[in-house]
Amino acid sequence: MAEQRTYDIRSILEEMRQEYWQGLAETTETREELLECITFTLGGETYAFETTYASEVIRVPKLIKVPGVPELIVGIFNLRGEIIAAMDIRPLLGLPPTPLTPAARIIVIKAESFTTGIITEEVQGVVGLPVELLEPVVKSVDGGAKEFIRGQINREEGMAMLLDITRILDSPALTVNHA
Amino acid sequence: MATKYLNIFLKEAEEHIGSLQNRLLVLEKEPGNTVLIHELLRNAHTLKGSARMLGFEDISVIAHRMEDFLKEMEDGLRQVDSAGVDLLLQGTDAISRMTDALAKGAPSPVDLEKFIQAFESGGSTAEAITAQEPAETETQIDTVRTSVRTLDSLVNLLGELIINKKRFEDKTADLKELCRAAEAGAPVARLKEFHRALEEDVLYLGFIIQQLHAEAMTLRMLPLKTITEGYVRMVRDLSKSQGKEVNFEIVGDHIEVDRVLLESLKPMFLHMLTNAVDHGIELPEERVARGKPAAGTIRLTARHEGNSVVVEIRDDGAGMDPERIKQTALRRGVIDREEAEMLRDDEALYLTLRQGFSTSEIVTDISGRGVGMDVVKMNIEKVKGNLTLKSEVGVYTEVQLQLPLTLAVIDALIVTCADQQYAIPLSYVQETIKIRAEDISTVAGKEVVTVRNSTVPLISLAGLLGLREQKAQISGGKVSAVILKQRDQTVACIIDRNNGTSEIVVKGLGGQLKRVRHTFGATILGDGNPALILDVPDIFTTAEGVSTLGMRKSIHESQLHVSRGRVLVVDDSITTRTMEKSILKAHGYDVTVAISAEDALEKVAVSSFDLVISDVEMPGLNGFQLTARLRTMEEYREVPIIIVSSLSKDEHKRQAIEAGAQAYIVKGAFEQGTLLDTVESLIG
Repeated sequence: MAEQRTYDIRSILEEMRQEYWQGLAETTETREELLECITFTLGGETYAFETTYASEVIRVPKLIKVPGVPELIVGIFNLRGEIIAAMDIRPLLGLPPTPLTPAARIIVIKAESFTTGIITEEVQGVVGLPVELLEPVVKSVDGGAKEFIRGQINREEGMAMLLDITRILDSPALTVNHA
Repeated sequence: MATKYLNIFLKEAEEHIGSLQNRLLVLEKEPGNTVLIHELLRNAHTLKGSARMLGFEDISVIAHRMEDFLKEMEDGLRQVDSAGVDLLLQGTDAISRMTDALAKGAPSPVDLEKFIQAFESGGSTAEAITAQEPAETETQIDTVRTSVRTLDSLVNLLGELIINKKRFEDKTADLKELCRAAEAGAPVARLKEFHRALEEDVLYLGFIIQQLHAEAMTLRMLPLKTITEGYVRMVRDLSKSQGKEVNFEIVGDHIEVDRVLLESLKPMFLHMLTNAVDHGIELPEERVARGKPAAGTIRLTARHEGNSVVVEIRDDGAGMDPERIKQTALRRGVIDREEAEMLRDDEALYLTLRQGFSTSEIVTDISGRGVGMDVVKMNIEKVKGNLTLKSEVGVYTEVQLQLPLTLAVIDALIVTCADQQYAIPLSYVQETIKIRAEDISTVAGKEVVTVRNSTVPLISLAGLLGLREQKAQISGGKVSAVILKQRDQTVACIIDRNNGTSEIVVKGLGGQLKRVRHTFGATILGDGNPALILDVPDIFTTAEGVSTLGMRKSIHESQLHVSRGRVLVVDDSITTRTMEKSILKAHGYDVTVAISAEDALEKVAVSSFDLVISDVEMPGLNGFQLTARLRTMEEYREVPIIIVSSLSKDEHKRQAIEAGAQAYIVKGAFEQGTLLDTVESLIG
């Protein structure tokens, strides 16, 4: 009996060791090549930006319209007592503003000077995107939109457009100051 | 150089600059205070050493000169007078400006050679310093310092909330158990007991929330000192430049007020203190000739008074002359002769607050004051405070500001317009009214209504806010309007619905929407959704362009073609409700049906009706209970209710009236005429 048990433990330890080394090899690999991004759908296409900008994902609450602001600011909502504006950035990217379904979500972004919400048709998830596959934006994308897209990544799962989120947030069309 | 050392130096320098500034101002009043001179010397000396250590030669040189200067004062080689203090203050300023530039990584704004030259000759050093834009934000206003006690108390209260939440969870479990027991026929007593226990928890929750709210509000408060300190220097410099002697006293600057309020107090203080020095305090020789001490006194006092803070600025200067103020107002066309004769002296002082009076150009020729007093008046109105003026010619002038303790919570009227709710601060609301087509007339093509014997322009809130052209909700031939007032202006603003008043918490719209026209923030309503708070003064500035057109016509049309009113028919019998519906529809009423009292309550929650017709006996709540329920709702307190029933005893009629119904029709005698007549007599 005793012998049997020792044998078992040894093989288990060996297995664990193997797994450990394998795991290490994998992580060093990913650390070099993958950019952790949140991916979501806009105009039926897949878009992405770094997870470091996203603070949370919520269902689309009732949005209260604000009169006299640019159309892309759809309305304001209450996030645990803080008033936040929700934006539909699809027009910025030259995408059609198709009606939202129950799958729609808002990605809340804490920028330097304000917190804002980006309305998406669907949030797909968080994935590591292989940076070396990033290609410059194709020429046919029109100038306005090109400014906000860093490039596209052609993955096996399909094309993903990497957004330049700081550029988008810096866009003057996003803030309102009727002084 | 390592930023770590730079930061340490900047912090140290800031402290020394601060104490140099404050001690110099004291020294001016107490020239014989040698202890003070010595402390000043130490400040300058330390600054010199630290700056030299980090290689900031220019700062070190100026500090060195100041040190020498102070040393001579200490040794009695130099007289301690205000000219000397002035120079030292200029030196302090120069160093302060240089450290500011260091902090920003900007080049030094001080031309050292020129500065030293001016300093040595005892002249003005202004030319040696490049002008800079004033700093945009005051960090002190943006951040909060609070006591550990407050924090502890907040955390404790949050702990209590969590415990309370646990109690509610237990109650949910209890209720589940109770539901099961109720199915098996448990006695009502257990339900009652449960209700009592739940009520206790709700009460306690309310108490915790109230405490938490109060604690959180104190975090918004800052002492007046945060802003008054800066004015000591301003008053001193201003009076010196005019050859006047002024003692500026501040009493009660420890009093705390809302940080937002402090921001709006700043321009008010600036104007009032400038006025006190410019126009209040006389030149020393003038004062002496009038038997007053050569030095004038300006005293700023703050104190609590009930639910507000009272700030007074009083000077013992020339005072305001009501006669001369009246004459100037007459000349400027602010008032006419008749009005001038009617005005009492104390009323005349307030003419200085009127627009058109207080332009700097005319202030020079009156013996009072007036620079920017309308600015003060505007600011005080913005924070919903009060301003009182008192004066005696040749003796004193006193401006009293009464300020609310906080701006964070205000009373507001909640209205619906184009499917959204808006909050209007109650201080701007005169009343809400219903307008019929015949109430509207036109003046030069613009629609107006008469409210309390005065003619008021009629505007549409939806139109003003630029919302999609949406027809105002017309029900029973009437539209709702809220009468807004601001000083002597009034306007009638058409809304869809008035949802009653409520105490609201004022919130900003966040950094993305810094300033949005017609709004000054948002609040969160009971349903958890935000509502914009309307900026009424802003609305008045644009109201003229958006007066309604054709409102009278559309009300008429609504009566002729669309609907004579919206009726809700509640009956569990399909025959009865179909019959009632077709009778009313045939006569131009818009009819909605509900199959039970519960169904009716759901329907009234989402749309509004002008009249309700209900059966008595229905499954669930009966018609009397439904009536009583509707009467408790703000929107349905006044809406006529007709009870239609097969019960014909007087007892039932009495019950119906007691519940709040207007009419009782017996089904047995049910015929087209009775129902229609009753409806028409109630809503036309």
